Amino acid sequence: MTLRIVLVIGTCLCLAIAGSVVPFLLHLHAARPDFLLVAVLYLAVHDDVMEGAALSGVAGYLADLTSATPPFLYTFLAVLTFVVLRTVGSGLKTDSGLQAALVAFGTAVGHSLVASAVLGFFTGTGVQLQTGTMLWSAFGTALCAPFVFAILRRLDALFVHVDGPAAGGIR
Amino acid sequence: MNSLLKRFREPIFVLALLTMPFLVFFVRAKKGRDSANFVDRAVLTLIQPAERFITWAAFGTVDAWKGYVALQHVRDENLELRRERLSSFSMQQQAAELRLENDRLKRLLDYTDKELPVRMVPARVIAVGSSPHSHSLRIARGADDGVAKGQAVVSPDGVVGVIAQVTSSYADVQLIVSPLSAIPAVSQRTRGRSTVRGVGDITRCKLEYALRTEDLQEGDLLVTPGGSAFPPGTPVGKVTNVAKKPTGMFLDAQVVPAVDFSRLDEVLVVVHAPPPAPAIPQDVAAGPGTHGSGP
Repeated sequence: MTLRIVLVIGTCLCLAIAGSVVPFLLHLHAARPDFLLVAVLYLAVHDDVMEGAALSGVAGYLADLTSATPPFLYTFLAVLTFVVLRTVGSGLKTDSGLQAALVAFGTAVGHSLVASAVLGFFTGTGVQLQTGTMLWSAFGTALCAPFVFAILRRLDALFVHVDGPAAGGIR
Repeated sequence: MNSLLKRFREPIFVLALLTMPFLVFFVRAKKGRDSANFVDRAVLTLIQPAERFITWAAFGTVDAWKGYVALQHVRDENLELRRERLSSFSMQQQAAELRLENDRLKRLLDYTDKELPVRMVPARVIAVGSSPHSHSLRIARGADDGVAKGQAVVSPDGVVGVIAQVTSSYADVQLIVSPLSAIPAVSQRTRGRSTVRGVGDITRCKLEYALRTEDLQEGDLLVTPGGSAFPPGTPVGKVTNVAKKPTGMFLDAQVVPAVDFSRLDEVLVVVHAPPPAPAIPQDVAAGPGTHGSGP
């Protein structure tokens, strides 16, 4: 396990804590950002396939642990999101903050749709699509995306040498 | 074979990463979570104290400002009143429900009280579920305080949810607005039974299995019935958007929860007191050799 992997997992851990505490302290109930989803988006755009998929799984697992939903729902969804984003990845531009926010908004809407469908279908509760909540949440996710991207970019910058990317670093 | 594995290493790895969590989710989807395993507990040991510390620090800073700089006496009085309100909540709810219940039961001769005595553990909310799709709270009480999976959680305003996962010092509460939640309810006015199901919207739930012939009206208060995990008579919410269909057994309606879930700082976990221990016969209690003759 490289130092970068450890640091990315540590960052995801901090993002999970922020995702739990910030909406509670600010009394947010609609525009709740999904910090870990932004991390998955970053990994899909910047990371190696195997390492990125595994780290996305870890991010999803952290969301699972802090959500009181059936186990491994968000782990599955995070890896699925990674695969889908990776598949369309060449068309995604996240260089500027605005671009990152726009892509995060679209990703959050798609993620919400799939999450509602999977949860409703497999738990037998029926698909409950809350359009307002979904859009507000996507808006919150878009707002926080540039900040999460900046943190992860800074982390990756630690592993970029003058002569090119380090092993296990950005590809 | 090896070259094939090497060639398709990435797709196989990703497919395995997709399949394994999906299979576990598929198997466990309707059963919910088991108790946390070793890995879960290890990770939660890192997360939960951090959440608690941040919440404590944030509230501490705000409280310090309000308490020592701005309104010290008013704040102290408010804190005292809130504590009193919490402690008297159980009695008030039971008394209100008992008054209504008593009127009905006076007409019955074979009345027997089957309700267990309840004990309520106050708990501080320290965080919410990290995913926007989750409708859960994390409280700073766990198995060490007698909290267990499935126990009811209430606030002075009404029903909050049930305990979904417990570690030694913390627990996750699944709110009644979660799509995974369905609790029994009874109309306080008509005593008609129904089920309140979450739809994933924090401001409303869906009313299910309320008979079409029921005289349910806009604004009717729904409370918890006896015999459930919740104390009888705890407000669930108010009925709204009642639509009586011309056909079918049940009517359509929505419920506005009695609790504002975005502003919950403290809750009460309903811990049923264990039934009294059976009386031990005196000759057994006194130990061998006290009565009668030994061998």
